Amino acid sequence: MRRPALLTATMLGGLLSASVALAQIPPSNSTPGEDHTSPAEAHSQGPGRFGGPAPSAPQAPGVNAANLPDISEIGIADVPAAVPQIDSTPAREDWPAYGRDSNQSRYSPLEQLTPDNVGKLKRAFVYHTGSKPGPGQANKWAAETTPIKVGNSLYMCSAMNDMMRIDAATGKEIWRHDAGVKYHSIPYTAACKGVTYYTSSTVPEGQPCHNRIMEATLDMRLIQVDAETGKLCEGFGFGGQVNLMQGMGESVPGFVSMTTPPPVINGVVVVNHEVLDGQRRWAPSGVIRGYDAESGKFVWAWDVNNPDNHHQPEPGKFYSRGTPNSWAAMTGDNELGLVYVPTGNSAADYYSAMRTDKENAVSSSIVAIDVKTGEPRWVFQTAHKDVWDYDIGSQATKFDYHHADGTVTPALLVPTKRGQTFVLDRATGKPLPEFPVVEKPAPASTMADDPRSPTQPWSDAFPRLAFPDLKESDMWGMSPIDQLYCRIMYRKARYVGEFTPPSTDKPNIEYPGYNGGSDWGSMAYDPESGIVIANWNSTPMYDQLITRKKADALGLKPIDNPSYNPAGGGAEGNGAQADTPYGIVVTPFWNHYTGMMCNKPPYGMIEAIDIKTKKVLWSRPLGTARANGPWNMPTGLPLNIGTPNNGGSVVTKGGLVFVAAATDNQIRAIDIKTGKDVWSDVLPGGGQANPMTYEVNGKQYVAIMAGGHHFMMTPVTDQLVVYALPDEADTKH
Amino acid sequence: MTARTRPRRAGDWATLALAIFIVLFGLIFVGGGGYLLSLGGSAYYLICGIVLLASGLFMAMGRLLGAYLFLLAWAGTLVWTIAECGFDWWGWLPRLFGPTLIAILVVLSLPVLRRQDTVRPVSRGAV
Repeated sequence: MRRPALLTATMLGGLLSASVALAQIPPSNSTPGEDHTSPAEAHSQGPGRFGGPAPSAPQAPGVNAANLPDISEIGIADVPAAVPQIDSTPAREDWPAYGRDSNQSRYSPLEQLTPDNVGKLKRAFVYHTGSKPGPGQANKWAAETTPIKVGNSLYMCSAMNDMMRIDAATGKEIWRHDAGVKYHSIPYTAACKGVTYYTSSTVPEGQPCHNRIMEATLDMRLIQVDAETGKLCEGFGFGGQVNLMQGMGESVPGFVSMTTPPPVINGVVVVNHEVLDGQRRWAPSGVIRGYDAESGKFVWAWDVNNPDNHHQPEPGKFYSRGTPNSWAAMTGDNELGLVYVPTGNSAADYYSAMRTDKENAVSSSIVAIDVKTGEPRWVFQTAHKDVWDYDIGSQATKFDYHHADGTVTPALLVPTKRGQTFVLDRATGKPLPEFPVVEKPAPASTMADDPRSPTQPWSDAFPRLAFPDLKESDMWGMSPIDQLYCRIMYRKARYVGEFTPPSTDKPNIEYPGYNGGSDWGSMAYDPESGIVIANWNSTPMYDQLITRKKADALGLKPIDNPSYNPAGGGAEGNGAQADTPYGIVVTPFWNHYTGMMCNKPPYGMIEAIDIKTKKVLWSRPLGTARANGPWNMPTGLPLNIGTPNNGGSVVTKGGLVFVAAATDNQIRAIDIKTGKDVWSDVLPGGGQANPMTYEVNGKQYVAIMAGGHHFMMTPVTDQLVVYALPDEADTKH
Repeated sequence: MTARTRPRRAGDWATLALAIFIVLFGLIFVGGGGYLLSLGGSAYYLICGIVLLASGLFMAMGRLLGAYLFLLAWAGTLVWTIAECGFDWWGWLPRLFGPTLIAILVVLSLPVLRRQDTVRPVSRGAV
């Protein structure tokens, strides 16, 4: 059946060379289909057989990348009183933090660029970071970088963590710090979302390292350099570096890594890290830690299965294994002394029977941790006992919510991959009364040993960033034949709406998929108008648990297994889930002959939501079919099909939204009033990054890292592309 | 079959090729559509597939009825498309774009079939 179907589809594809668009998600093994192994058989193979190295086994060479000594611990009382940081009150023309300000609003008060003149925007300069796949290196690149801008300089990191200062008007490199990250330290993706600007509380102005640029690296180092010169800050850690693999126990390079700018709250720099998904149940810990931003000394740890011990592990001990990791950008709150940590899942994402109650209480949640003690003050969970990889990828945004009676509550906007957006009181973690959260019944498990939560939380007052549940008639293709193929796939799977649990006997459809809803691009919020800009995906996944025998047959091994094959499984695809009875096979819900998604377009949307009225002001597909098509052939068509997207937006006082993100490799400006494109440009690579905007010498610039994304299959480059109005077209403001 | 219905001109060959293509299409629809129906899915593909098989076979035999059956299937598909997805343009693309192109070819084959069909009674008599 399949071959003639393919042949005919090919012939039809020729006929239909017009108009088909496609979701760019990469190939991997197809879901294996029915499996008649009984759970008893599966269990008889016993977790012990797949046990990896002891957690206390020595770390592999290269895990402590710079061979740094152990850092000592100090009490919170010994952390010097913090001075005000620049991101609390950014200058109008600056963008001093990842999300511009400490609220992470992604809002700029600049207004030189408007819907009327933005059409004249031209490239001002292109800066090359120098980081892209070398000869013979598999493409694991997706820089995802957003520069920050302070004074007349941009500060940024390359995908491989080199840091640089660039003249913000010309793109000329002023200094560069070579971080020396090795290829083997790349986990799933070589990414560096940004750096942190930190002003010292002890070094006087004018001295080296008064202002510092700090980054968290793929190979688990925290590094500080002088903002002026790029020289390492000797007073921080050991020669400017701290080894964050201390206390983590057994690991190999690439298992644990950091890709987000660490926030500094009242003098404490807080670090989280990504633990490669799908490897083994007893993967390294997802511990969250606080360090003195001044000296790099350890202050506290929040270790989920060891919650009363906030200290570093004794020699030979390690933080509790397999706990939920947090890989998304965190948000700091100096006023409340909290850090808002978006957590993910316990290790082995798709099988929950071996998780502890302590883990189940804090996974896929926002956890507000007191930066003085490391103790959680509140927890808000967005998916209970998650087996869908619904970890929180988005950075939460702080804002002031104005109630109808005139009172104001410090609030937190929490986007999720589920497309549910939660609006919480920052002091208590409770949903605002205007945005109540309701627990609704959720599907039961078909795995006798792994029950699901009877309910899941819904925030119905905030517009849902997803389409209604998939129907058979939503299946798509370029011809009736591939549509038929997808309808068969739909019917062969178990699907009872959102939260259909994975099982061994049948595949399950997961919608929204693990790419969102909202992912790490997060949301932009205009505090003056109360408008939220959200871009999101409509890309279902097709999952299935597989027995250990089948996982072995597929060659799925954890990363720390000597016979690990990097091509066999990764964070986003099939996973060994060693130490559990089951492996996992995950693919996009697509026709793997054509590479086209099985659901109908659009696959990516962007919308504006008024937080006061909770109404959608406009909603439209994001991304055209120009760079997509069946068999990955670009169609060149300007059809606004809406592509999968990764990366967020900027909203400006000038009335514009800047966003790239889509797999059409374009950056566009959207008129916030109408939702219509008012400018666009084709980037040299994929624009899977958050853009930013700033002003120098009276001129407004817009910058986007066109770093591309290996998983989104967009071209990878090392180019930061910066736009401004040409001098003659410069408008007065 | 007699020498009279054997394809001679380019139009005859093209019509035969089109008929074979429609038969293949019909086979896939009947096979895949039957499987889909057994999984609890839509009956459209099986029903349409049977009509397409008949259409292709009759066209291969030089019968005008084959073309009419295809156009009937196309009209039925149009009604089904509206019933399933209303006027959502993206929903129309897989359901109607390819079949419409084939329907145009079928219409273009009408003169050929009409000529073949007029000689049919004679040939049938010979069978």
